[in-house]
Amino acid sequence: MGASFDIGYVFSFLPKLLDTLGVTLLIVAGSLLTGIVAGFLVALPRMYKIPVLRALSGVYLSFFRGTPILIQLFLFYYGLPELLKPLGFDLSRAPVMLFVILAYGLHTGAYAAEMIRASVEAVDRGQVEAAYAAGMTPYQALSRIVLPQALGIAVPVFSNLVIALLKDTSLAFTLGVMEMTGKAQTLGTLTQHFVETYIALALIYLVISFTLEKVLLAAERRLNRHEAREERVVRRFALGKRGSYRAALADIETGKGGGI
Amino acid sequence: MQLDISFIWTAFRQILGAIPTTLSITAVSVLVGFLIGAVTALARLYRVPVLSQVSSAYVTFIRGTPMLTHLLLIYFGLPMIIDGLAGHFGWSFRSASIPMIGFAYISFSITAGAYMSEVVRAGLLAVDKGQTEAAHSVGMTTPQALRRILFPQALAAALPNLSNSVIGMLHGSTLAFAVSVVDINAKAQIVASTNWKFFEAYLAAALIFWGLTVLIERSSAWIEKRIGAYNRGGVA
Repeated sequence: MGASFDIGYVFSFLPKLLDTLGVTLLIVAGSLLTGIVAGFLVALPRMYKIPVLRALSGVYLSFFRGTPILIQLFLFYYGLPELLKPLGFDLSRAPVMLFVILAYGLHTGAYAAEMIRASVEAVDRGQVEAAYAAGMTPYQALSRIVLPQALGIAVPVFSNLVIALLKDTSLAFTLGVMEMTGKAQTLGTLTQHFVETYIALALIYLVISFTLEKVLLAAERRLNRHEAREERVVRRFALGKRGSYRAALADIETGKGGGI
Repeated sequence: MQLDISFIWTAFRQILGAIPTTLSITAVSVLVGFLIGAVTALARLYRVPVLSQVSSAYVTFIRGTPMLTHLLLIYFGLPMIIDGLAGHFGWSFRSASIPMIGFAYISFSITAGAYMSEVVRAGLLAVDKGQTEAAHSVGMTTPQALRRILFPQALAAALPNLSNSVIGMLHGSTLAFAVSVVDINAKAQIVASTNWKFFEAYLAAALIFWGLTVLIERSSAWIEKRIGAYNRGGVA
């Protein structure tokens, strides 16, 4: 199987793989934008308990969290043109990237919705009551009081979400998009130095996830600077209690557990 | 090309045969992963000299790289190592005798181990320190305290994360197609390309995965209710 191991190839593959980093990051950025918009659309009916829409967003969440991203990619790629054809849209010539970003975006949207809901709920109820008491409209209360506070709570979950998305993009090659993993496979096949390519690939992913994590940690610190320094005590797992919920949320991996 | 509803059912029945493969990959990776996770989590919590640094590096590396790269690295790297050693020591064992699914088992277990390590660690940290102190003060040794007092409570605390990880590994098992193991996803691909009905086949596969996931979620919620029964507040 392939030629013998030569560490030199790892270094010569790194710049070649980095050429396609832009494609990977484009998928991440595009899906993140789509995902956050979709997340808000799905989370709002659930937070405000709007009758029918709430049930629909429940189905959306269940489906996108209940099926593997790989299956979703194929479903979108093969299914969307067929579903939209009767409506007069011809997607048979649409770029693959569109399907990829849409699939990753809606997948991320399901996790983003839960993130938004959980962090908004973690903001103390008294904050909203005080906003109403001061005469704000519901929209003002949400945008001026709740969301800025929820943002700080959401960052650790968001960080996990982005890193999970980055790792998920390694599947886009199955639809023929030339991102980093696809490039690595091509390089491996060309040179027969598979192990070296995948080591180089893993290193790049590792560096990006590590950087993302550190950047978002700094963002979290900054967003939460209004908070009094809490003593980080070991907590019991009674999540229902208001006081502990907020702090506990940061420790829990809401969303994707393991995988891909 | 029109959506063929009846073919979804045909595909569904054909894909059902691949469920055992998917479930066995999931079960093996979750079980072995839990063992790896428990060992690495304890090593990190008790700051065992060399082991804790190795564990941290392992968890960071695995969690920072896609599961597909683990699979491909194991698939191409492991035979190299095994054949190299076999050639050196004159073993008769060759990497060619490892079945394809073996690579999936090994690599997914390694992946699951890192995620489980975090789950176990978070679970153990969630148990009040007073519990360990009380166990020690009634004369239990550390292993006894771990087994009798900490683990049962940590399990209850970790259950939601544990079920997330199981679902993550179930969904991750779709990657087995990369080493030509015929799981649900690969079977859907075969059914799709032989009948030229891609959407229907993947729809059937999605329904199966959806059902399995809901099943895991429901049973986890049920177990959570039972296992956390002691933890309710109130007076009665």
